[in-house]
Amino acid sequence: MGGVSVEGGHGGKKSVDSEIPLVPFIDLLLCCIMFLLVTAVWNKLARIETNQQQPGQNAPMDQPQEEQIRLFVHVSPTGYVLSDTAGVRIQIDKAGDVYDQEGLREKLRDRRQQEPNRRDLIVTADDGVVYEDIVSAMDIVVGEGYEDMSLTPPQM
Amino acid sequence: MSIHAPGRVLLHQIPLKFVHDRVAGGGRKGVDVAIALVPFIDFLITLVVFLLTSFSASGELLAQRPNLVMPEAANVIDLEIAPIIAIDPQVITLDNRRMADTQTLAASAQLERIEQLVTDLETLKRNWSVLHPREPFSGTVILQADRNVDFRVVKKVMFSAAQAGYTNISFAVNQGAGGGGGE
Repeated sequence: MGGVSVEGGHGGKKSVDSEIPLVPFIDLLLCCIMFLLVTAVWNKLARIETNQQQPGQNAPMDQPQEEQIRLFVHVSPTGYVLSDTAGVRIQIDKAGDVYDQEGLREKLRDRRQQEPNRRDLIVTADDGVVYEDIVSAMDIVVGEGYEDMSLTPPQM
Repeated sequence: MSIHAPGRVLLHQIPLKFVHDRVAGGGRKGVDVAIALVPFIDFLITLVVFLLTSFSASGELLAQRPNLVMPEAANVIDLEIAPIIAIDPQVITLDNRRMADTQTLAASAQLERIEQLVTDLETLKRNWSVLHPREPFSGTVILQADRNVDFRVVKKVMFSAAQAGYTNISFAVNQGAGGGGGE
């Protein structure tokens, strides 16, 4: 048993020597460990949130729709295309077989400087593109602050 | 009878001399060992702290499947309760019920509804409205797809979900380095 010995206890006063009950303490720790081991999650799963609505699609019918420039990141088998409805089109080609993620990140950062308040962006992809590459693109888009992200196929 | 200091006594009436010799030392190292409690408690506390830091309340909402490898992402949020559509290289399932074949959907270029999926999602939507009459329907579905699945298949699943009223799609991923997960 562990104990704490402090000078005192003389002169008719109650002794201040006290023992820490180690066995119940160890029991408590072991119970905690058992509980945490049973409920432990070793692989952390999470989600990337998107919707299938284009920006402004939910606007009330009685209000005139404001002309809004839409920003797109298109994932094609040859690379990324950053474009908008105002006519900007920036091609970011693959480096070999790998998508140029750093290039996309840089272009989105440049765009962010032009429009610091924009939060919406539409990600589109072609048939034949692997799901992992689309998730990587969405990850970069969200990471650059475009949190109101939509994922729509080009023809939808 | 004189009084003398007591020595080691071990059941003198039982002739277990080897036990007596061993307990008494017998010229060798004694077997009395004190457990070092303080390092033991330190170890337990460290273990508890480690397990507490890796504790996740929402981790069990989604289970890993043996034949499905999810992609990694860093800018993510925590999982929430929603219907789970899983797309593995063989089949598409909704809450572990088979809906369609992945290969069949990947073979056709036409954007078509997955009728079984739409029907089941509509049923889930109706059930949700009955169970939560005062809450607005969020229309969220979790898509757990294999990382090598063609986007054509994902597109058809998303289209079917949208037809059933589920327009918010959450893509399940493995949380990579620098992940948020704070929301």
